[in-house]
Amino acid sequence: MARSLANTVLKGIIGSHHRAATCRTLCQQGTIAYYSVSSDAGTHDDFKSISKLADSDISLKDVVEKDVKENPVMIYMKGIPEAPACGFSSLAVRVLKAHGVPIASRNILEDQELKSGVKAFSHWPTFPQIFINGEFIGGSDIILNMHQSGELTEKLKGATTSNTVKRDD
Amino acid sequence: MRKMSSKATNLLQPRASRIKQKLENALEASILELDDVSYKHAGHAGVKDGANETHFNLKVVSSKFDGQNLVKRHRMIYDLLGDELQSGLHAISIVAKTPKEVGGK
Repeated sequence: MARSLANTVLKGIIGSHHRAATCRTLCQQGTIAYYSVSSDAGTHDDFKSISKLADSDISLKDVVEKDVKENPVMIYMKGIPEAPACGFSSLAVRVLKAHGVPIASRNILEDQELKSGVKAFSHWPTFPQIFINGEFIGGSDIILNMHQSGELTEKLKGATTSNTVKRDD
Repeated sequence: MRKMSSKATNLLQPRASRIKQKLENALEASILELDDVSYKHAGHAGVKDGANETHFNLKVVSSKFDGQNLVKRHRMIYDLLGDELQSGLHAISIVAKTPKEVGGK
């Protein structure tokens, strides 16, 4: 139920300055936004929640571990891929989009605990933070650098499969 | 932790001075350029009004970065600036190179 609500809400709020209040509700439910670049017009149909924090006993560390394990490309950012709230997050998203890979993201502005949890997990004090195939890559400076050097293309080679890929545990 | 000092003769803002000093000491940097670009970020999410000394561009050249990948270099810098990051420093755009990397090309 909440998932379709999330979809409906997300469809209605792209580009709107009122998204903050709505996103807060979503993020309290722990919805992860999934952005697909396959149709670049930014159609809202591509937004779908893929997981939920149904159980409040799940620790932040578990959430982050799950995020980076289940999503080949995972970005913790300010805002959302279609509407970044900060220049660095915007840059990171643009670089990743240029490689045509599906991007999973969480908006750390709407959840202070998540923000602290991610910082502690990666031992990195700023955002955005990008993980590829479970490996912490760095922030926007690093991802841009890797894009320019060609290293990012290499890293992303294993990351073009769909978001539902799960490795055997 | 020292609070903001008001040395009228010091043109550098306090945080910038502290950052420069910490990095120069620890990294023995041959080149260290630090610019306060907070004005470019004033008003965006997470930054309070009258933003000052919240965002910097940093370029540092040090042989201590030899053999370190970018993540490690940035972590070295972030670790040195832990106090600043806890007290209002929001972001640093970092260019961290070794002497060979700047002279070699």
